[in-house]
Amino acid sequence: MLTAPTLAQIEAIVHGRIRAVLAERVGEVGRLSGTERLSATLGLSSLDLAFVVAELEAELGVDPFAKLVSITSVRSVGDLVRAYQQAFFPELERSGEDRALAAAAKRAQIRRARRKRR
Amino acid sequence: MPQARKVALVSGGSRGLGAELVSGFLNRHYGVATLSRTKTTFITNMLRARKGRHFHWSQVDGRDHEALRAFVKEVGERMGRIDVLVNNAGIAMEGVLPTMRMRDIVEAVEVNLTAALVLAQACSRLMLRQGSGCIVNVSSVHAIRGHAGVAVYSATKAALDGLTRSLARELGPRQIRVNSIAPGYFDSDMVSDMAEEQKRRIARRTPLGRLARIDEVANAIHFLTSDQASFITGQTLVVDGGITC
Repeated sequence: MLTAPTLAQIEAIVHGRIRAVLAERVGEVGRLSGTERLSATLGLSSLDLAFVVAELEAELGVDPFAKLVSITSVRSVGDLVRAYQQAFFPELERSGEDRALAAAAKRAQIRRARRKRR
Repeated sequence: MPQARKVALVSGGSRGLGAELVSGFLNRHYGVATLSRTKTTFITNMLRARKGRHFHWSQVDGRDHEALRAFVKEVGERMGRIDVLVNNAGIAMEGVLPTMRMRDIVEAVEVNLTAALVLAQACSRLMLRQGSGCIVNVSSVHAIRGHAGVAVYSATKAALDGLTRSLARELGPRQIRVNSIAPGYFDSDMVSDMAEEQKRRIARRTPLGRLARIDEVANAIHFLTSDQASFITGQTLVVDGGITC
């Protein structure tokens, strides 16, 4: 791919690769929502996932699992999509960190409020 | 331009067993890609004779993971596929462990084991997409029998045998076979420094009464990579004239 794909294109490509593997196994499958668990819901094995990652590397030219993301953190279709979206748009990862920081700040604020009440 | 002929990637193909394998695969009408740290006379002659036809060489240090991965990518693009990987590159590391330099230990692990892991990972991705492939790791009889003075070398080679068995289970469902070969002593650069008396002692202890010829070791690898071995995976083939039996 010569130009960076959009978020929607990445999602469509990842979904397409997963559906192709499932089609080999159980025939044509419907639209994926993103919440499906790769193993528990769809029945994909680790090797199936490795195959999908190899296919996506050939198509998209990136492998987010080489350095950025641990494959063990990928549980759902949405997790896999996000890993590739972050590979193209690193700011998504930062916004994830921002969300985590905001959540931590909120928890600290609640703890302080509780201490004041005591 | 992708080619129809099968492609073999041999690490450490500039001399010894690696060079024998390069010639053997070319004679079997494979496209051959090889990497080595140095450009030997063998490589220079092959490049001149082949003029890029079905033969590709790059200067790569086995300790450079990125360069190894880039080499596999380049071979995949230039030759269209990779059917066979032979993890042959290795260094002999002699000396008792208590007095061995740490940097020598690390180098042996990097060249003998980590490089094989990196190449197997990169090649297996192509093989997964192809739905076929074959990997042979060059181990050693030192992985099977203990010998004083080769503890680090033995550890790296035994690790390759462990890798072989587990990787065979991982990749088998996609029709990728993984085996290793455990040669005994054979005529190569690695035994060139050995004293004649030591070679004679090894020969005396070997049921077949001699060291192996290099082609005898290469032939076992060609067998494992051929269709004749199509139902063999996860095994270590010992080619040692019976010294470990």
